[in-house]
Amino acid sequence: MLRWLGNALSSSIGKKILMALTGLFLVVFLAEHILGNLTLYKDADGTAFNDYKHTLESFGPLLKVAEIGLFAVFAAHIVLALKLALENREARKQKYAVRAHRGKATAASLSMLITGSLVLVYLFKHVVIDFRFNSAYHEAPAATVKETLSKPSNATFYVLAMAILGLHLAHGFRSAFQSIGASHPKLDPLLEIAGTAVAVLFAVGFATFPIYFLFFWTGGAS
Amino acid sequence: MSGANPDTMRITLKVWRQKDTDAAGSFKTYYLHDVSPDMSFLEMLDVLNDRLIQTGDEPVAFDHDCREGICGMCSLVINGQAHGGDAGTTVCQLHMRRFADGQTIHVEPWRANAFPVVRDLVVDRSAFDRIMAAGGFISVHTGSAPDANAIPIPQETAEQAMDAAACIGCGACVAACPNSAAMLFVSAKVSHLGRLPQGKAEKDRRVVAMVQAMDAEGFGNCTNHFECEAACPKEISVENIATMNREFLVASFRSRDLG
Ligand code: HEM
Ligand code: FES
Repeated sequence: MLRWLGNALSSSIGKKILMALTGLFLVVFLAEHILGNLTLYKDADGTAFNDYKHTLESFGPLLKVAEIGLFAVFAAHIVLALKLALENREARKQKYAVRAHRGKATAASLSMLITGSLVLVYLFKHVVIDFRFNSAYHEAPAATVKETLSKPSNATFYVLAMAILGLHLAHGFRSAFQSIGASHPKLDPLLEIAGTAVAVLFAVGFATFPIYFLFFWTGGAS
Repeated sequence: MSGANPDTMRITLKVWRQKDTDAAGSFKTYYLHDVSPDMSFLEMLDVLNDRLIQTGDEPVAFDHDCREGICGMCSLVINGQAHGGDAGTTVCQLHMRRFADGQTIHVEPWRANAFPVVRDLVVDRSAFDRIMAAGGFISVHTGSAPDANAIPIPQETAEQAMDAAACIGCGACVAACPNSAAMLFVSAKVSHLGRLPQGKAEKDRRVVAMVQAMDAEGFGNCTNHFECEAACPKEISVENIATMNREFLVASFRSRDLG
């Protein structure tokens, strides 16, 4: 019944469109995430952040559905990324002896699989070790975030990870629009700027948290 | 010949030599001492081949035909760049004055599984023909050239279709793409034919059929590096790729074909 849809989505363009839609969905998630995190700056004792977390939890089963949905989008983005990357490697078995790019491909565009994979490594620590699956976090959310991020090794790791995420978005955001067919001489220069802006905003925005808690947080209050 | 004549250049060529599709290839080094800066790159190869024939060696096989940048036959990767480094230039229009005296130049064929090497620098680009056969045409008889303005076409549409129609099908986009994707070629054909009234009727069927044919040939997937646009001798815009992606999506939903 839906064979036509399967055929369309498993084509090269279909996979690219899914890659773009999952990527853009993840960007929307990042936006929600950073807004939520801003509550950490609202007060010194972490009440605002803890309240925010409780509000999220008050959604009960809806939150579970959202979490599973988010996981599924991540999984789809990653599985497709690997499939596309493998196919693209495979498409040129005999490599060029001399290779010179013409200056359109960028460090960001050429390293999407590497930056993506490093983001995945980061996510493992972030989600599994530090917060989501760490019981201490659920007992004292804001305090655990501050403790964790104020450790120099963690803060360095987080800042580096955000730089890498920024690099991923520096190509990804603009690229996603091209993939879903949004290109026009009036739109393209704006997308160029928006891509850089989104990358810098998220990278710098998220990085302020570890930097703040490493250098300016004096501990104590939770 | 000594290097006394200031009007000639010394060039070291490293040329990919490969007996046939299945043979392993390798670079062979040739020294040319009397290259005129006014020669085209292909004329320089002609000189090399004359010399090889005189000494009883096999000449270097390379594709060429019009030598005026319109047929799309010439297809060399020079120092890592499809058609050499000049913007909007086929390699038959590239001149030796663009190189430095004493320079070493690597010459390779287009490299992509979908373009197997036939011999030396000649690759088999029939994958493009099969993609065209899948939908790169207009089925109805369009008759002889109609009277001017008999079919009104907005200026902007005509310009866009003409820009896409400039594609000579050389395959430099595939050669330059880090993923060996053929998206620029296919999208140029899709937007050239799909924009004009005669081609519009088959727009949906065309884009789906051509994309399926492209995928079947084993080209890579586009990741929007845009190296194709930079390498294209006709400077076809990657906006065509976005257009094709959009039309492919729309056609997939709109078509009544359930398969
Ligand atoms: C918060 C996390 C992430 C966000 C916001 C994100 C966002 C994006 C966006 C917007 C794109 C552009 C899609 C396109 O070009 O059409 C993209 C592409 C890509 N992503 Fe991610 N991504 C994330 C995580 C990951 C992870 C964990 C991987 C792991 C392998 C990954 C691998 C890739 C690859 C390889 C591409 C390029 C695929 C292509 O162009 O064909 N990403 N990403
Ligand atoms: S030989 Fe015809 S385009 Fe170069």
